[in-house]
Amino acid sequence: PSIPEGIPSDSKTNKDGVLVDEFGLPQIPAS
Amino acid sequence: MAHWFHRNPLKATAPVSFNYYGVAGSPAANKICNDLRTNRARLLEMFTDVTCNPEMMKNATDAYFSLLQGFISSLDGTTQENKMRFIQNFKWTDTLQGNTPSAQQDAVFELVSMAFNVALWYTKFASRLAGKENVTEAEAKEVHRSLKSAAGIFKTLKEVHIPRLITPAEKGRDLEPRAMDAYIIQCQAEAQEVTIARAIELKHNATIIAALAFETANFYQKADHTLNTLEPECSGKWRKYFQLKQHFYMAYAYCYHGQTLLAGDKCGEAIRSLQEAEKCYSHAEALCKEYRQTKGPGTTAKPSEQLFFLKLGGLIKNTLEKCQRENGFIYFHKVPAEAPQLELKASYGLAEPIPFELPPLSEQCSSEVYATFDLTKGAKNDKAKPKEEEVKPVKEPDLKPQKDTGCVLS
Repeated sequence: PSIPEGIPSDSKTNKDGVLVDEFGLPQIPAS
Repeated sequence: MAHWFHRNPLKATAPVSFNYYGVAGSPAANKICNDLRTNRARLLEMFTDVTCNPEMMKNATDAYFSLLQGFISSLDGTTQENKMRFIQNFKWTDTLQGNTPSAQQDAVFELVSMAFNVALWYTKFASRLAGKENVTEAEAKEVHRSLKSAAGIFKTLKEVHIPRLITPAEKGRDLEPRAMDAYIIQCQAEAQEVTIARAIELKHNATIIAALAFETANFYQKADHTLNTLEPECSGKWRKYFQLKQHFYMAYAYCYHGQTLLAGDKCGEAIRSLQEAEKCYSHAEALCKEYRQTKGPGTTAKPSEQLFFLKLGGLIKNTLEKCQRENGFIYFHKVPAEAPQLELKASYGLAEPIPFELPPLSEQCSSEVYATFDLTKGAKNDKAKPKEEEVKPVKEPDLKPQKDTGCVLS
């Protein structure tokens, strides 16, 4: 496996490629 | 946050000594039996220990299951059943059936029943944490994770382990598909409740909140329908909970959908959406009363008097008044007779169960030690006859949510 870059965090992307938090909500509030 | 969740009681079980006299034919085999007894007793104690956290629960569960698998997995390199699988009779009560236990002489029955209780514990832990005043972000994550873990355990049991039982579960028992599905959906819906609260707190777009509330209401409706063929005496109270939550989250969906409509200058439709929210809210309120009056397994509570419930009522009222004011001053729209159709698909915040994996088999359970268990020795010994152990109900810690005044000190 390749060496991971950066530090692990709660963020991941959903199926649409949007960055989401641990609850599956978009990282940046839309309003 | 101060959430409120209905909880059914924990399953109770009779003690198991794992004493097989002549059968365990080596010190290592005897040690496995002794460790099974102590690890099982320790895990059972954990269920009612208010200081227990998910890490402690996982350690206790792994310790027991890593050994119990020595009575389930094939250890002699053949595809044949483990010879120890059917040596012990296990008794467990069911969450909806009072103190009448089910019994099966099968280690797989023990595995699924115990894991079921572990999942129940996760839901109770989450409930205790979420019912607190001023829940921190870390605690909200813990609640969310615990509910998804519980959903994952129920789901894996239903799909992988329960089908291995020789005797299928009877109607109304915990391990039958209807009860299992209801538990899985309940955990997912409750996890989404936590997400909705967070989305509101972080002021996410009203569309996201409305869609997630709508999906959550649909989850509760599905759980309710799943149980509609069970006896009302055992499932009635639980179903009332699902129904009240369904209407409560439909009220949320219409309330936030109304905000979206208002933001799109559709004030008449927004008013109609808010009126529908009021209707759903009143229905939920009536169901709260019915829930309180319905006898059955589970917690007693007055959900309609709690802050989570009262808060939404205030929000609907204020939003409706705002829409009506704006319509009177700016829009002059006609309010449609029909409520807007909610066809909202949530793209964010749906809770997926966390897959449940059994721990690796204990190193104690080697094929050499397995070979020293001799079933023929036990059969000749009268003492090996299983003693009838009584199933005592579990004394659970109080899970009533703390009173939340809603006051903020600044």
